[in-house]
Amino acid sequence: MTGARKPQGDGLSEAEAIERAKQGDAEAFEVLYNLHKRRVYSLCLRMTANTAEAEDLSQEAFLQLFRKIGTFRGESAFSTWLHRMAVNVVLMRLRKKGLSVVPLEETMETDEESPKKEPGAQDPSLAGAVDRLELQRAVEALPPGYRTIFVLHDIEGFEHNEIADMVGCSIGNSKSQLHKARMKLRDSLRTSRAAKAEKP
Amino acid sequence: MTCAEFQQVLPEMLEGDRNTEHAAHLASCSACSDLISDLKAISEAARQLRALDEPSPRVWNSLEIELRREGLIRQPQREPALVPSRARRPWAWMVPVAAVLLVGFGIIVYQRGSDQQAEMAKNQAPVAPAVAVLPASNVSPSHRSDDDRQLLEAVGTRSPETRAQYAVDLNHVNAYIQDAEQSAQSDPNDEDAQQSLLNAYDQRAMLYQMALDRSLP
Ligand SMILES: [Zn+2]
Repeated sequence: MTGARKPQGDGLSEAEAIERAKQGDAEAFEVLYNLHKRRVYSLCLRMTANTAEAEDLSQEAFLQLFRKIGTFRGESAFSTWLHRMAVNVVLMRLRKKGLSVVPLEETMETDEESPKKEPGAQDPSLAGAVDRLELQRAVEALPPGYRTIFVLHDIEGFEHNEIADMVGCSIGNSKSQLHKARMKLRDSLRTSRAAKAEKP
Repeated sequence: MTCAEFQQVLPEMLEGDRNTEHAAHLASCSACSDLISDLKAISEAARQLRALDEPSPRVWNSLEIELRREGLIRQPQREPALVPSRARRPWAWMVPVAAVLLVGFGIIVYQRGSDQQAEMAKNQAPVAPAVAVLPASNVSPSHRSDDDRQLLEAVGTRSPETRAQYAVDLNHVNAYIQDAEQSAQSDPNDEDAQQSLLNAYDQRAMLYQMALDRSLP
């Protein structure tokens, strides 16, 4: 495990960095942070759709992880551990703000605050292609409950059983809400494409 | 099979649960096959949103401050042998400044500690304001701006981004100090105001310590 010591921080492996961080090494913490900052920050940003909040939550997630680094064994689970931590930190914040983390059950189906605009028959199909940025905007506009499930499953790659566990809903609910989230995204993508097409 | 019936079973179908009836409908209905390819496209594009964004450097900055405050970061990273002496020179002045800031902070904490003991003894005695030791700790506003200018010049030799980040951090912490000083002066008995002031000095000292630790490229 202890290979040749590399003088520069960038050359530290994750396992080495974890061991050094346990000793209080500033550079090792920075290496660990740099390895995972984009993933954690993007997760927080997708879930909250708010830059300031995402920064705050990222800091909190790393802090909680680093406080426990002394108890950490083994390298492979480190990122899993961190991403779970980040999800929990975000979910806790959303709950504190009274936002729905658990997607609404089937019965709440018709209860939409905003009048739903059904895409017209003339709205273009997405033709099987979705641009990253247009999807990003559409995800931000999703109601928080749907957004949570979509981000966790389709973006972050968690399984339905993991999501059910973290979010506190049934696996079936996670599945059906994911489907609805995708349908909503499709509607909003089609609508925005149609609007774009109308402009000269 | 109608479109409505097809879309009813769509979620299970997307998970691979497909029969001949589904396949027949898909083959004959362009609306439903468009729907499926759109949903797949959405799912696939979603993966590109993972790790898409870069956080501002201030996230690491505040994180590092907190890690130092909590004692998780215990020693500065220094490997002097690797560093040409010229590169180190712009930082030399910072050693005493950081030391003074830290000592100043120590004096305040010490002063405060003994005050608290005295206060516990007399119970009603006012806490001596932390601002009373200010002149001795070399953090008057004019000293501050001189020091800051030098710090920014020095970190500016690393990169303009680093300089900009430190400028923002210094602005924040100086504004924090100013606010804290004002409330501490307006009510010397306000425990919270005294505590804020100590925190503010602490943060400033921490910034200098960080700059110093990173003085090596
Ligand atoms: Zn159909």
